[in-house]
Amino acid sequence: MSGAGPSAAAAASHGASGCSQKELVWQSGKLRLYRYRPIARPAGGVPLLIVYALVNRPYMMDLQEDRSLIRGLLAAGLDVYLIDWGYPDGADRFTTLADYIEDYLAGCVERILLTHRLDALNLLGVCQGGVFSLCYAGLHPRRVRNLITMVTPVDFHTPADLLSKWVSKIDVAAWVGEGNVSGDALNQLFLSLMPFRLTQQKYVDLLAGIPDRALIENFVRVEQWIFDSPDQAGAAFGEFVLWFYQENRLMQDRLEIAGRKVRLRELHLPVLNLIGKRDHLVPPAASAALQGLVGDADYTALEFDLGHIGMYISARAQREVPAAIAGWLATR
Amino acid sequence: MADDLWRQWQAFAALWAPGAPGRAAGDGGFGFAPFIDAAGRFKAAAQSLLDGAAGGPAAAAQAAQNFSDFLRDEFAGARPPWNAGFGPGIGAAAPDSSWSEWPALGPMREHQLRWQRMSEAARRIDDAQRRLQRLWSDALRQAAADFAARLQPSASGAADAEALRKLYDTWIDCAEDAYARIAHSEDFCNAQAELVNAGSQWRQELQAGIEHWAKLLDLPTRSEINTLALRLKSIEQQLRAATAAARIATPAAPAAAPAARPAARATASEPKARPKPRVAPRKPSPARRRNARRKAKR
Repeated sequence: MSGAGPSAAAAASHGASGCSQKELVWQSGKLRLYRYRPIARPAGGVPLLIVYALVNRPYMMDLQEDRSLIRGLLAAGLDVYLIDWGYPDGADRFTTLADYIEDYLAGCVERILLTHRLDALNLLGVCQGGVFSLCYAGLHPRRVRNLITMVTPVDFHTPADLLSKWVSKIDVAAWVGEGNVSGDALNQLFLSLMPFRLTQQKYVDLLAGIPDRALIENFVRVEQWIFDSPDQAGAAFGEFVLWFYQENRLMQDRLEIAGRKVRLRELHLPVLNLIGKRDHLVPPAASAALQGLVGDADYTALEFDLGHIGMYISARAQREVPAAIAGWLATR
Repeated sequence: MADDLWRQWQAFAALWAPGAPGRAAGDGGFGFAPFIDAAGRFKAAAQSLLDGAAGGPAAAAQAAQNFSDFLRDEFAGARPPWNAGFGPGIGAAAPDSSWSEWPALGPMREHQLRWQRMSEAARRIDDAQRRLQRLWSDALRQAAADFAARLQPSASGAADAEALRKLYDTWIDCAEDAYARIAHSEDFCNAQAELVNAGSQWRQELQAGIEHWAKLLDLPTRSEINTLALRLKSIEQQLRAATAAARIATPAAPAAAPAARPAARATASEPKARPKPRVAPRKPSPARRRNARRKAKR
């Protein structure tokens, strides 16, 4: 084949920083905290901090103008902040969950509160970032005014959770060793969940369809995001697999971060739980279990007929998810 | 950027057009080539199926069987994603089992033991890969059977794009359903865990062997770097604790202080948190000052 094919495919890439205007407001190590510029009349009130997962890059929240959860939130007048965890390297291998939650996440919250002269903010945790948000809220309930979790696993032992079954008998300490865990290896794991659809059908779909400019651009952006997987800091990854996937500590009310117990049952703040009914990574039951953990909190669950990625970028998600978040916040 | 992307996509897509000047025979497995080739085989097999379906019940049944066999064979050779990290079987390169059971004696005892453990780990990897491959084959067999059962007996006519697409999607549905049943099974989970655990042990033994040779050459090893990293982390933690204690002891600190490092958990990787180097010249001693005054008077 001539060089044009590969070069065309290679050029079919997208700037991995999102599409909305934002500014860097704080950084610590590899972490960056961004604040998005408003695109609508500010609704005023409490800022919203989005806590994304470690396993992929946060620009999925702002992929392109017509597929951006963040843009939807900005259009609703919300003041949006986003954490970018960066790409861990070998020097970060001993970074623990306590470092991520009690240092980095707590640092971002304190920075925002100081800027706005507030005592508490709104927290939106996505996937693994939702677990981090729950931990933070459990440790610092006075710092969180409203908590929103999106496709967030809480019960890691539900029958449909294939990842949990696969890792249940893995020796995590030996697997991680003293190094980081490769993002490529995790991608192989995720592809193994639905190998026929994820390694074949989606490409056939693309080739079989009528070449549509917007469709191809969107496909390539999502493709880039899927395989733009940071390595995972070994210590934090090992803790996450052991404490959550294997021991299900959140459900058993015996999770401690930095020596302090995470007390979800004593949370009294409003909680909105956004669930994807067709989520193959975080089964709906794994998210819905939050209701049984948050005590007498003002709890609301909203289910969307969407998959894990569809919750961020599908056309339906653009219509429904930001509106649901903004509407729920407006009443609290 | 969007315009560039679109132009290049069009150039790329044009390469797949029949007779395109840029397209060479046997596209070498790049990008879409495997899917294009597979689509060609799929189309030929599907055409046989549709032709057979028009030839009466017996011919239709045989055509369905042939088609499901084709699908099973087509996917049987595919390397499942969980094997991608291990290549074509580490175990194949392992020494024969008799070597791995020799008694370890003498000055090379530790090295021999390490090689024996590696050999054992490689054998376990190979075994786990075979078990997974067998389960993968079972899933394909079941998928082919389900697919044959779901084929419409009345299917007939030309293999147009819509018919092909419907067949393909049905096959994918059957394959995913069959695979999901296997993937959730105890056998699969055990084999998967064994593959990872044996792979971890193999890597650990290999790393130990490499570090041994690195030490002989006085090269730094990962273990040494890890030790230093842990010491640094410990010092950072002590610094944070000391800073926090100092802050508690002096509550009159200005309000802006927490802005730089909330919770006083600065990391050494952030340059701003480090103490500033002393750049001012040292104060001269009294003797030096006297000499300087004398020189100035001259």
